[in-house]
Amino acid sequence: MLYRENGQFKTTYAADQQIFPIAQDRWTILGILLIAFIAIPLLVDEYLFRAILIPFLILSLAAIGVNILVGYCGQITLGAGAFMAVGAYAAYNFHIRIEGLPLLVSILLGGLTSALVGIVFGIPSLRVRGLYLAVATLAAQFFTDWVFLRIPWFTDNSSSGSVSVSNLQVMGWQIDNPVSKYLFCLIFLTIFALLAKNMTRCAIGRQWMAIRDMDVAAEVIGIRPLFAKLSAFAVSSFFVGTAGALWGFIHLASWEPAAFSVDRSFQLLFMVIIGGLGTIMGSLFGAAFIVVLPIVLNQFLPALGGVFGIKISTAGVSHAELIIFGGLIVFFLIKEPHGIARLWSTGKEKLRLWPFPH
Amino acid sequence: MNHQIGDVILDLKNVSLAFGGVKALTDISFDVREHEIRAIIGPNGAGKSSMLNVINGVYRPQQGEIILRGEHFARMNPYKAAKAGISRTFQNIALFKGMNVIDNMMTGRNLKIRSNLIQQAFWWGPARREELAHRAKVEEVIDFLEIQHIRKTPVGRLPYGLQKRVDLGRALAMEPSILLLDEPMAGMNVEEKQDMCRFILDINDQFGTTIVLIEHDMAVVMDISDRVVVLDYGKKIGDGNPDEVRASPEVISAYLGVSH
Amino acid sequence: MGFFLETLIGGLMAGMLYSLVALGFVLIYKASGVFNFAQGSMVLFAALAMARFAEWLPHWLGLDSLWLANTIAFVIAGALMFVVAWLIERLVLRYLVNQEGATLLMATLGIAYVLEGIGTSLFGNNIYSIDVGMPKEPVFILDGLFEGGLLINKEDFIAALIAALLVGLLALFFQKTTTGRALRAVADDHQAAQSIGIPLNRIWVIIWFVAGLVALVAGVIWGSKLGVQFSLVTVALRGLPVVILGGLTSIPGAIIGGLIIGVGEKLSEVYLGPMIGGGIEIWFAYQLALVFLLFRPQGLFGEKIIDRV
Repeated sequence: MLYRENGQFKTTYAADQQIFPIAQDRWTILGILLIAFIAIPLLVDEYLFRAILIPFLILSLAAIGVNILVGYCGQITLGAGAFMAVGAYAAYNFHIRIEGLPLLVSILLGGLTSALVGIVFGIPSLRVRGLYLAVATLAAQFFTDWVFLRIPWFTDNSSSGSVSVSNLQVMGWQIDNPVSKYLFCLIFLTIFALLAKNMTRCAIGRQWMAIRDMDVAAEVIGIRPLFAKLSAFAVSSFFVGTAGALWGFIHLASWEPAAFSVDRSFQLLFMVIIGGLGTIMGSLFGAAFIVVLPIVLNQFLPALGGVFGIKISTAGVSHAELIIFGGLIVFFLIKEPHGIARLWSTGKEKLRLWPFPH
Repeated sequence: MNHQIGDVILDLKNVSLAFGGVKALTDISFDVREHEIRAIIGPNGAGKSSMLNVINGVYRPQQGEIILRGEHFARMNPYKAAKAGISRTFQNIALFKGMNVIDNMMTGRNLKIRSNLIQQAFWWGPARREELAHRAKVEEVIDFLEIQHIRKTPVGRLPYGLQKRVDLGRALAMEPSILLLDEPMAGMNVEEKQDMCRFILDINDQFGTTIVLIEHDMAVVMDISDRVVVLDYGKKIGDGNPDEVRASPEVISAYLGVSH
Repeated sequence: MGFFLETLIGGLMAGMLYSLVALGFVLIYKASGVFNFAQGSMVLFAALAMARFAEWLPHWLGLDSLWLANTIAFVIAGALMFVVAWLIERLVLRYLVNQEGATLLMATLGIAYVLEGIGTSLFGNNIYSIDVGMPKEPVFILDGLFEGGLLINKEDFIAALIAALLVGLLALFFQKTTTGRALRAVADDHQAAQSIGIPLNRIWVIIWFVAGLVALVAGVIWGSKLGVQFSLVTVALRGLPVVILGGLTSIPGAIIGGLIIGVGEKLSEVYLGPMIGGGIEIWFAYQLALVFLLFRPQGLFGEKIIDRV
C-alpha cells in the first residue's frame, strides 16, 4: 500500500527524466546509502568486510563496466579479467614510478590506461560480432596474462613475479583497516554507479543500445558504429580497470597475474548475465550473488553432510561447489534469462498495483 | 503552409548494383524534386528496397552516382546520408527493441547532440539542458503522430501498426529534408492505412518534407504521390505522374502479365 | 632445414589434436547454434572415464588383456558420453531454444562446471595414464634426403592417422546416412527442418553424442601422450582460435584451422619465442586468429553474412 505513485504528477520533462521518478524509490535508495555508509561500518565484523563486502563492492564496479559493454552495447567480452589486470598493473607502475603521486590519481590513471588498451582490443568489434568477437576478446586475456608474467618491467623486476603495495592513504586518511577500505571502495562504487547511470540515460547510452539492438538502423539515423562501439569499450574498460586497481591495491595488497585470469573474466560475465543485462542495478545483484554463493556453499555443505552423517572432505566440498554453482547458473538462465534485475522490476510492478492485480 | 514542388533535389544517374553475380539494379536513373511525394513501385524482387538502400548508403552501387543538392557522390554512406538530412523507415521495422518509445525517438535526435561524453556522465549543465530540449522536440513528434499513450512502453510490446508509427516517428525526429519510406503500409488494416496516409500527407504538407516511398497498395500510391517510378527486374520501365504510369503498356504487362 | 621440417611436422601433429577439439565445437554449433564451452570439460570427462575404467576393469573382472580392458573402457566411456548428451538435451537445451547466443554460451559454461565437478567426484582428480599400447619410440625418416634424417614420434603419427580416420568417418556419416542428412537439414534451418518432421530434440542428442565421441577420441590421444588431468579442460581454450580461424560452421575449416594454428604455434615458439621471452604459444594462436578476422570476419570457410534491411 505504501508503494504508490498516485498524486506524484510530473509537470516538467526534468522531473520526468530523473533517475528515480517515483518518490518512494528515492527514499529507499537514500535509506540504503545511509545504511551502507553509516550503519554497516558500525555494526559489521572484520571477516564480513574482508570476505564479502569489499570483494562485492569492487566486483560490482567491474560488473557495471562489463554490463556497459555487454548489456548496453551488445558486444560480448570474455576478456574483462585482462582489463582488471591492466588497471591494476598500470596503477601499480604509476604508484611506484612517480614519487608522491596521490593514490587516487594512480588508481584513476590505471583506469585510463585500461581504457586505452580497451580501445585497441575493441577494434575487431568493428569487423566481427557475436561469438567471433567473444573469442577475439580472449586474445586480450591471454596476451595480458603473458605480458605481466613474462615482461619483468611491469612487475618492477620482482623476483617472485608478485607485486605489493603498502601504506596507502588519501589526503591523510589511512586506508589500512577493513572499515576504511570498505568505505573507500563504497565511495568509488557510489560515484561510478551514478556516472554509469547518467551515461546510460543520455545520448551516449542510447547510441550504445541502438548499436546493440539494430546496428544497421542505428547507422541510418546517424550513429557512427566506430564511435559508439569504441566509446563503449573505453568506458567499460575504464570501469573494469579502476576496479582492477582497487582489487589489487585495496583488496589483495599483493598480487600475481593469476588474480586476473580467464576465470575472473567468466565470473564477471556470469555476474552481468545472472544480475540482468542492461541494468546498473543488475550488476550489483549479480555481483552479490556470485560473491556470496561460494561462501554460503562452503559453510552449508559440510553442515548438511553432518546432518546425514556423511563427512564431506575439502576436495568433495570443492567438487560439490562446482556442480551446484554450474547447476544454479543453468537453472537461472532457464528460469529467468533476464536476470535478477527483471525479478526485481516485476516485483515492483506487482507492488504498484497490489492488492488489485489488474 | 503550402510548399510548391521545387527543383530537383536528389538525382540518381545510371545506378547499377549487383550482389556477386545477381544484378539487383541495372542502369537506373530518376530524380526527386523538392517537396514532392515520389513513389517507387514494382513487383516483388524488382529492386525497390535496394533502390532506397542505395540512396541512403546502406548498399554501395558498383556504377552510377547520386547527386544530392548539386553535390556528387559516387557512393553514399549511411552517416553522410543522415547528415545530409535523409532519414528513412524500414520494411521489416528496425526499431531498437530494448528501448521504449521515447528513447527510440530520442536516438533520432542523435546528430543534433553537442554535449560530450564527460558532460553526459556528470549530467552537467549543457548535457542536461540539451537532453530536456530534445525531449521537448520529441514530444512534438509524439503529439503529431498521436502516440502519447504509449510513450513509455518498450517498443517490443507494441502491436505491429503502432510499431510502424514509432518507426516513422524516429525518422521524423531527425527533422529530415528527405524522408524515405519503405512500405509504410505493408500489413496494415484499412484504418491504420488511412491514418498512415494522413500522416504522410501532413508531413509533406506541414514540414515540406520531400518523400520517397515504396508501396504495394496501388490505390494509395496513385492517390497520394506526385510522380511514380516503376521498376521490374531491376530495370526502370516507367516514370511519370500517376495517370501516365497507369496508361503505360509496359507497366500494365509487368503487373498483369499480358504478353505482347 | 631438417630442424625446420621437424618443427613443422610437430606443429601439424599438435594441430591435428586442435582440429579434433575444434571439430566438437563446430558440430554442436552447426546443429544447435550453441557455442559449446563445455567441449573441454567433455574431453576431460571422457578421458577420465576411459582412464579409470581401463584401470578398474582388470581388477573387477580379472581381465588380463590390456586390449580387452581398453576396448570395454572405451565403450563404457562412449556410453557415458551418450548419457551426458541425453541429460544436457533433456535438462538444459530444450528449455533454452531460441535464447540469445550469450545466454547459451553461459549455459554451456554452467554445464562445464557441472561436468568437471561430477567427473572429478566420480573419477578423482589426480593424474592418470591411458595406455592404449601406442609405440613411444621415435623413428627417423627420409634420412636419404637430409643429413641425419627427420625425427618423428611414431605415436604422433598414429594419433594423426586416427584423427584423420575419424574425420573421414564423420564425413561419411553426414553425407551417406539418413540421420546425417537430417543433421545437415537442422544445421541449415531449425524451423524448416522441424516443419518437415525432423525431431529436433533427438537430433540434438545425437549431435552432442557425436561431439562427445570426438571429445573421447581427443581425450584418449591426448591422455595417452601427456596423461589425464584436470588441466585437460584448457584444451577447449586452445581449440577456440581454431574455430575462429576456420569459421564456426565449417568442418573443413576446423581441420585446416587446426593445422594452421598448430604449425603457427610451434614455429612461433621456436623461432620467435626466444626473442621475446618464450611461452607465447597460447596468445600467439589468438593473435593469429584475431589478425585473420580483421580481413575475413567470417573465418576461412564460414558463411558470409549479408545484412538485409
